[in-house]
Amino acid sequence: MKKMTKANFIILVVFVVFGIVLGVQIKQKVPYFTPVTLNSIETTKYEIDNINKEIEELKLMLKDKEEKIQLYENIARDDKNIIDLLDKELKKTKLIAGFVDVKGPGIIVKMEDNNSEDAFGQSYDLDLIHDADVLRIINDLKEAGAEAISINGQRVLSISEIKCGGPIIRINGKSIGTPIYIKAIGDPKLLSAAINAPNTYGYALKNIDQLIIETEIVDEVIIPGYSANFEFKYAKPIKEGD
Amino acid sequence: MKNIRGKIAVVLVSILLGIILAIQFKTVNKTVGEGVLPTQRAQQLAIELKKVQEERDALIKALDEAENKIDQYERGEADNDVYVENLYKDLEKYRLLAGYVDIEGPGIILEIKDPPVDVQYGVEYSIVDDIDLILQTISVLNAAQAEAISINDQRYTAFTEIVRAADHIEVNGVSINSPIVIKAIGDPETLESALSIKRGIVWTFRYYNYDVNLIKDNNIRIPKYRKLVEFVYSKPVEEQAE
Repeated sequence: MKKMTKANFIILVVFVVFGIVLGVQIKQKVPYFTPVTLNSIETTKYEIDNINKEIEELKLMLKDKEEKIQLYENIARDDKNIIDLLDKELKKTKLIAGFVDVKGPGIIVKMEDNNSEDAFGQSYDLDLIHDADVLRIINDLKEAGAEAISINGQRVLSISEIKCGGPIIRINGKSIGTPIYIKAIGDPKLLSAAINAPNTYGYALKNIDQLIIETEIVDEVIIPGYSANFEFKYAKPIKEGD
Repeated sequence: MKNIRGKIAVVLVSILLGIILAIQFKTVNKTVGEGVLPTQRAQQLAIELKKVQEERDALIKALDEAENKIDQYERGEADNDVYVENLYKDLEKYRLLAGYVDIEGPGIILEIKDPPVDVQYGVEYSIVDDIDLILQTISVLNAAQAEAISINDQRYTAFTEIVRAADHIEVNGVSINSPIVIKAIGDPETLESALSIKRGIVWTFRYYNYDVNLIKDNNIRIPKYRKLVEFVYSKPVEEQAE
């Protein structure tokens, strides 16, 4: 230890610093290099899978349209039941667009604030239901294949807003308060799993934020059609051949 | 003398270390960065990807043609009869809302790019981790009376789910990734101010270091939804009452 001169000490310090720099460098570089390629391969694989699924969907749709063309061509010959056909088509479109009351098997999700005085995360408002929570739950239900969804009797459509308005939540221009009842029609098992399975958002809300989330599987849920009036003022259809 | 010898030794060791380092980096670069195996696999996948993309595009084209044909039949019939014309108009209205028609009009474009690397402090995050923010953006746009919304050219419908899958997002079952481009048709002023309000959507994205770009545009095109929706569980209520 008697040789520990000033110069030696400096060298020691320099090497220690060098070692740390090296360590940091390698830590950064290695994950930077490997995941880029492996990840991109993984991503490409996913993308191919997804496009293949898309192709399946497109084929289904194309088949449907071709059948329709067939029908129209048959009609063009005798010109009889165009009205029936259009009427049927209108009914179906209305059903898909969400303007018809529907019923079927599904679940009812009840979401309620945690009203106890010593609720978890009270100072951050974690004991209350927020619009973002409802949005996530709705999104999870859609992912599980929900065919129709309503929140406190308001049908959820593509143009439905779910927005915080202070003590209430606004949907379709109407105010709703807690408890919030979300009804969804679809495969009850899948829908229920989308809310209750570990690692889902609903599970986290229930077990971490300790909100009251209750799901009930029901044989027949009735979901009302969209009742508000709508008129597209800005959007115009793009038509080819005009 | 003894001192100089020591210094020479240190210099030699340093040079050696430097060479080893350089070799190490070159090797890592070659094997992991642009190695033979991953490149080959990636190329294969790229070819496959291109193939399925072409197949999909061909199908989309065929579908568009079929839909045009149907539309022509319907309009052709509508010209002959007032009743049929009204039916056709109604049908068009609901198809528009259900998302089965390409649409154009004034509105806004919101582009969200992932945060730049240098502010990430080793903890990487991207839009994939902030799906709630996309859901909220859509909700805010709807609250501002958007008439049609698309995410990276995927039409947002009542059935659209936004799901995280590994390191990308799936919308309508199609993979998308940063940058996220959300388009909305509606009153551009209202839509813009709804998003850019203080502590609103744009503010929140910027707070998390996302690179956000919001522009108004007078001619926004939003493509149609290309998935066939058939209700399996839901039945219309009226029909069963009959």
